[in-house]
Amino acid sequence: MSKRSFDVTRLPGTAVIAMACFVVLYIPMVILVGYSFNAGKVIGNWEGFSLKWYGAALQNEAFLNAALNSLILATTASVIATLFATMAALATTRTEKFRGEGAIHIILNQPLMVPEIVLAIALVIIIGQIKQMTVYTGLGFLIAAHTTFCIPFAYLPIRARLEGMDLSLETAAADLYASRFYAFRRVTLPLLAPGILSGFMLAFVVSLDDLIISDFLKSPGQDTLPTYLMGELKRNLTSEIYAISSLLLLLSVLIVAGSWVATRKKD
Amino acid sequence: MLDIRGLSKRFGYGKGEVTALHEVSFQIAEREFFTLLGPSGCGKTTLLRLIAGFTGPSGGSIVLDGKDIAAMPPNRRPVNTVFQSYALFPHMTVGQNVAFALEAQGRPKSEIDPAIDEMLTLVQLLHLKHRKSSELSGGQQQRVALARALVARPRILLLDEPLSALDMKLRKDMQIELKRLQRETGLTFIFVTHDQEEALTMSDRIAVMSGGRVQQIATPRELYDRPANRFVAGFIGESNFLSAMASGGVVEVGDGKVHLADAPDGALTLMIRPEHVVLSAKAPDALQLEATVNQLVFFGTDTHVHLLLNDGTKIVARVQNALHAGQSFHEGERIFLSLPSNALRVVNEAEAEA
Repeated sequence: MSKRSFDVTRLPGTAVIAMACFVVLYIPMVILVGYSFNAGKVIGNWEGFSLKWYGAALQNEAFLNAALNSLILATTASVIATLFATMAALATTRTEKFRGEGAIHIILNQPLMVPEIVLAIALVIIIGQIKQMTVYTGLGFLIAAHTTFCIPFAYLPIRARLEGMDLSLETAAADLYASRFYAFRRVTLPLLAPGILSGFMLAFVVSLDDLIISDFLKSPGQDTLPTYLMGELKRNLTSEIYAISSLLLLLSVLIVAGSWVATRKKD
Repeated sequence: MLDIRGLSKRFGYGKGEVTALHEVSFQIAEREFFTLLGPSGCGKTTLLRLIAGFTGPSGGSIVLDGKDIAAMPPNRRPVNTVFQSYALFPHMTVGQNVAFALEAQGRPKSEIDPAIDEMLTLVQLLHLKHRKSSELSGGQQQRVALARALVARPRILLLDEPLSALDMKLRKDMQIELKRLQRETGLTFIFVTHDQEEALTMSDRIAVMSGGRVQQIATPRELYDRPANRFVAGFIGESNFLSAMASGGVVEVGDGKVHLADAPDGALTLMIRPEHVVLSAKAPDALQLEATVNQLVFFGTDTHVHLLLNDGTKIVARVQNALHAGQSFHEGERIFLSLPSNALRVVNEAEAEA
C-alpha cells in the first residue's frame, strides 16, 4: 500500500480545489457563528462583540420549550430506533440466509430513498386520523414518526460493524460453554458497542435536525428547534436566531465528534 | 471413547444438494492423537464441526462415553476447539480469554484464577497474562488459543488446521509443543490437517479422507507401508505406479516378471516408494526393468533420479548422497533397476465408496 501508482494528492491543483471546497462549505457557518456574537440586532451590521443574544436565547421561553421538545424527541426516537436497528442487524447477519432477506434489507432502508416530503404527507394523513380519534396531542406522534426514519441511519453502521466481525468469535464462545445469551453479552455486544453508539448518534442528529416531518405532524403550539427557528425566520432574521443556530451547530458537532472518538478508540 | 456411527452431512436442497460426508464410521480411543487428513473439500472440517456441534448431522450418531451427543448444542458438549483463525476475543486480555470457558460454566473465582495461571504456565505465556490478545504474535495467539481450549479439561480437544498460519520454523516447534501438551494433559486430540508430513510426525492414528469418505484409518507407519488404495498411496509420501498383469501369483510389467503371492489375477496397479527402487544392481527376488535416466534432481541429503521405462512410464528413484557414494548417473544413460518384491504393493485403483 505504501507505493500507490495513483495518488490524487499529487495531481496539479488538488490543494487549490480542496481549499475552495472547504471555503464554500464552511464560510457560511463561520459567518453565522460570527454574527451570533454581534451586539447589534440587525444582520449584516457589525456593532461590536457581545454575548447578549446567547443570554436572550437562554431566557426565551419559546426557544427553551422547543429545545426541550427536540431533546426528548431525539433521545427517545433514537434509543428506540437503535434498539430496533440492532435487532434487525443481528437478524440479517447472524442467521443463515433465508427467503426474503433481501426484501427485508430494502424495506429497512426505504426511508433513505423515499423523499421526505412524501413520507411526511403519508404520515399526516394517518396521524391526522388518529389524532381525531384519540384527541392525544403529545410528542408521541413525533416520536413514532422520527423512530421510523431514524432506523436505517442506526441500522447501517451497526450492520457494517457486525459484517466486519469474525463469526468464529461467537462460534468460539459457544464452543467454550457459553449459552447464546452469555455469548451475546460477553462477546457480541462489547464488540458491537462502537457500532451501536455511532448508529445511535447518527439517528440522534438526524432526528434533532428534522424539519419537514416535524413541521407536518406537530400539534398546534408544539415546536421542535427546527420548526421554531423556521417560524422565527419567517418573521425576521435576528442575531438571536444566529445564536440559537450556533448552539444547535455546537450540539451536532459535539455529537458527531463524540461518536467518532468512541468508534475510533475501540478499534 | 468416541464412536462415530454412520455420520453423514448434506448441504443444500434439491439439485444443489452436496454431500460433504458419506456415512462415516470409526472409533477413537482415550488419549489418542487422532488426525483427519485430506485435501480441501474432503469433509475433514465438516466432520470436526459435527463433533464440535457447530453444525448438525444429516444422519448417524456421535457417541461420546456411551452417550449420543449429535443433537446437543456446542456449549453442552465436553469438547473444545482450537480454531484455524484462533478466534481469540480481541476485546479481552490473554487471561480473560483463558478464563472464558470457566466463567461461562459459572465456576467460582477461587477456582478460575489458579486454573488460568496453571494453563498459561503450561503454554509458557504467564508473563503476557494482562496483554490484549490482539497485541500478540501469531505463535503467541496460537498458544493462547490452546490454553483457552484446554482450561476446562475437555474430553476431546479438536484442532482445526491450527498450524497452517504459522511459518515453517514455528510450525515445527508447535508440532513438538502439541505432542508435549497432549502427553502432559492426557487428553484425546483430534487434529485436522491437509499436511501429510504434519500428520505423519504427530499422530497415533490417521484417517485419510477424500470425497467425504474415509479412505483408510491406520498408524502413520501402516499408511505409508500399506496404503489401501491409489489415493492414499499418492497422498501420503511419494509413490511410483506401474500398470501390470498378473496370473497365478506372477506379475508381469513390460518384459520383467516378479512373484507376488497376494496379487489377484488380471490387470492391476503396483506401487513402490522412490527410496525402495534399487539402481544398477540386480537384487534377488525383484522386478528387473530397463530404463533411461531422464533427469537428476539434487535434494541435499539425496538425489531424485527420474527414469523413463521402455513403455513410457515414469519412475522416480531416491538415492542417498552418501560420502563414499559409488553410484553416479548422467542424464540419457541406460540403466537397470530392480524393484524388490517385498517393497511392491498392489494398490486398489478405486477409492472407498462405502
